[in-house]
Amino acid sequence: MLHKRFEGNFLKYLLFLLITCNLFAVDATVKIEKDVENRTRIALVDGSSVPNSAFFKILQSDLKISGHFLADKTHHKGDMNSNYLLPSLKNQEYVLKYSLTQERQIKLLIRLMKSSESTEVFKKSYTITAKEKIPFLAHKAVSDINTVLKYPDISWINRYVIYARYTTPKKSEIVLADYTFSYQKSIIRGGLNLFPKWADKEQKHFYYSAYGGLKPVLYKMNIYTGKRTKITASEGMLVCSDVRKDGKKLLLTMAPEGQADIYEFDLSSKRAKRVTKFKGIDVKGKYVDDESSIVFVSDRLGYANIFKKSLFSGSVSQAVYHGRNNNAVDTDGNKIVYASRESQKSFGNNRFNIYLATSDTATTRPLTTTGTNQFPLFSFGGTVVLYIKHHGRKSSVGYINLESQQSLLFPLSGRKVQSIDW
Amino acid sequence: MTKKILIMAYATLFMGTGCSQKAPDLDIEEGRNNISDATEVASDTVSIDENEYGSENRDALNGTQYNSSSDGFQSLYFGFGDYTVSSSMEDTIEKNANIVHSVQQRVKIEGNCDEFGTDEYNYALGLKRANAVKESLVSRGIPENKMVVISYGESNPVCTSPTDSCYEKNRRVDLRLVK
Repeated sequence: MLHKRFEGNFLKYLLFLLITCNLFAVDATVKIEKDVENRTRIALVDGSSVPNSAFFKILQSDLKISGHFLADKTHHKGDMNSNYLLPSLKNQEYVLKYSLTQERQIKLLIRLMKSSESTEVFKKSYTITAKEKIPFLAHKAVSDINTVLKYPDISWINRYVIYARYTTPKKSEIVLADYTFSYQKSIIRGGLNLFPKWADKEQKHFYYSAYGGLKPVLYKMNIYTGKRTKITASEGMLVCSDVRKDGKKLLLTMAPEGQADIYEFDLSSKRAKRVTKFKGIDVKGKYVDDESSIVFVSDRLGYANIFKKSLFSGSVSQAVYHGRNNNAVDTDGNKIVYASRESQKSFGNNRFNIYLATSDTATTRPLTTTGTNQFPLFSFGGTVVLYIKHHGRKSSVGYINLESQQSLLFPLSGRKVQSIDW
Repeated sequence: MTKKILIMAYATLFMGTGCSQKAPDLDIEEGRNNISDATEVASDTVSIDENEYGSENRDALNGTQYNSSSDGFQSLYFGFGDYTVSSSMEDTIEKNANIVHSVQQRVKIEGNCDEFGTDEYNYALGLKRANAVKESLVSRGIPENKMVVISYGESNPVCTSPTDSCYEKNRRVDLRLVK
């Protein structure tokens, strides 16, 4: 059987996904029929010699989270090369015929057909050698179809998610995944390696903090060669919180003199400029407003909240006036997403929700309304928000398309996520 | 009540927005853009075992360099979200200071947290705890350069049961000799 193991795992994911979609149906998936009418109706026709339901489901997820397609849920089978379309598919605007084959390589062939005319509008083939990376074939195909149809860019679905998870006390691993977490690969195991952060938009390098010695060390690693470069070290703690768009400067939380503050680190001069000076906790600096300012998490009011500071002046202002414990934040342009604790239990499961705001504090809106939702992150391009949802002993990674309000949840393994980047 | 109204207002706002793309009419010349064999999914990535690196990380991997409290030190425990040294810790601080005075080696002060914070904030909280203990030791005459602090955030729990008493044990500062 073609990719039987992959398929078995994915079916477990699917079952969980279906359950969690129902459980968390209140989440930001505001199911709006008007939107449904406006999305492009598309059906999938599987022309593979050995049909693969796992692959079909990934294509379905990709089409859904794009926000641009309304995919027919039936797993149709049909001839790949013929232009003939079943009469029942004529009510679709498009039909995507595809064929997945495995010989020496994994090959995906796709043909996008316009249903009304039974004509081919796009055809492409993709080849990879590692069968574990089959999910990326689906993502790439859907991303290309989206581009051909001139819809807003969804290339974020092709990107790696990188995250650190704890394995045992003082031990962790850093893992690469596709956005559905169908593909997962541990790229650093052993030791206590934390806070992975992409170093470039091409996702060839990432920064991470190694906590193996007396002082945490920040490294930059190439994910294809394994070559790593030491960037800096700091007593106490060291985290790369953000990378400037040109890749030349980093926002670090570190404590060279024992007090953790936010620094802007110049990679060419190797010099760190202290951005915040506070005796309490200042962490998680993120560039905002064309990288002229940062937002960060601080307990300067006695509880964790989001503040803003210009990189060129000393004044600090409150960026969020909602909630009593806002301890995680991400930015895209002048948009802010943050996690807010909305129950006051000292222990056990607290309710955390994700909010979307603007850096000028003008607007705030909830993106989730139930459960424990943390680690909010914007996609590359800022149209989708990733977050981690905990429910009982289970965790999942969630996505909310800010434009279409579509949302998806995919299960995570039981190991605790330490930090995540996308 | 206000929150409910706000949420309803936002939901209404959502209903007024959304995706409005229609399938566009394509202007693709026949034969153009029709096929391209491509290897567009990136090649395979590395998989690193940190044991392959030098001694800097091996120390942490085998777990022998920084042994637990066998050096005679006593851990200090903190309240939820708290990083101040309370009067109830004075005796423990005093005992730990006496040990530091009596040894030649440097002392590593490790800040730890329960599992309830989030990533960076928890590591900063652990560091504040470690620094609070360090300052208490400095006030008892221990030279600053005889101590090194590090935060392990929530990464080093001594207890994993979902109980209050377990979480209390994890909100702690450990001291060890640097060997």
